[in-house]
Amino acid sequence: MRLILILSLLLTGCATKTVPVKMKFPEAPSILLESCVDLGKIKEDAKLSEVATSVTGNYILYHNCSDKNNAWIEWYKEQKQIFESVK
Amino acid sequence: MWLLDWLPEWFFYALGVVGLVGIFVTYIPFIPKIYKIPVQIFSVVLISASVYMAGAISKEQEWQLRVKEMEAKVAKAEAESQKTNTKIVTKLVKRTEIVRVKGQEIVKYIDREVVKYDNKFAPGGECEIPKEFVKSINDAAEPIK
Repeated sequence: MRLILILSLLLTGCATKTVPVKMKFPEAPSILLESCVDLGKIKEDAKLSEVATSVTGNYILYHNCSDKNNAWIEWYKEQKQIFESVK
Repeated sequence: MWLLDWLPEWFFYALGVVGLVGIFVTYIPFIPKIYKIPVQIFSVVLISASVYMAGAISKEQEWQLRVKEMEAKVAKAEAESQKTNTKIVTKLVKRTEIVRVKGQEIVKYIDREVVKYDNKFAPGGECEIPKEFVKSINDAAEPIK
């Protein structure tokens, strides 16, 4: 019993070196969480201009999706760097 | 340390002072010999506890300082993270707008220039767009499941 008392008294001086303050990894902006839109299709009897418009529309969708993907990469790299700087 | 939450810091320093006084008192000649040893033992215990707690107080202060430092670091990083979010979203919105405007310009061009060839490439026209051509484009646009 005495030993337990002495040990518990001694152990009160022990402390962990890890500070209990942590940074949470940030939430991604909602715009980055939007999925890419499906590509548009052409009618069977489409005119040449409609084909060109549809192809253009699909390229626009690709560019938007590509930009979003690049933004994700940039977001992750930068947030990771910030997150790891807090240690 | 839980003891430090319960009792003020001065209490532990006071214990040390009481212990030192206790030791000093045992050297006064008129104190009966029978009390000397117990008082000395008690005083040494008090001094030990006081020294131990002085160490704990110092450690606690160091700990609190580190917590504050860490909190400041986290706050700074969170602000930086928020700034990065805003920067990336702004950039993305700008790029989306650029792509949209460029797309509109191309569509205008199609409506102005490509439309001239619509009749030539119309079904039954001089150069009808083959169904296979349309199919190949639609197949490529088909979402992969």
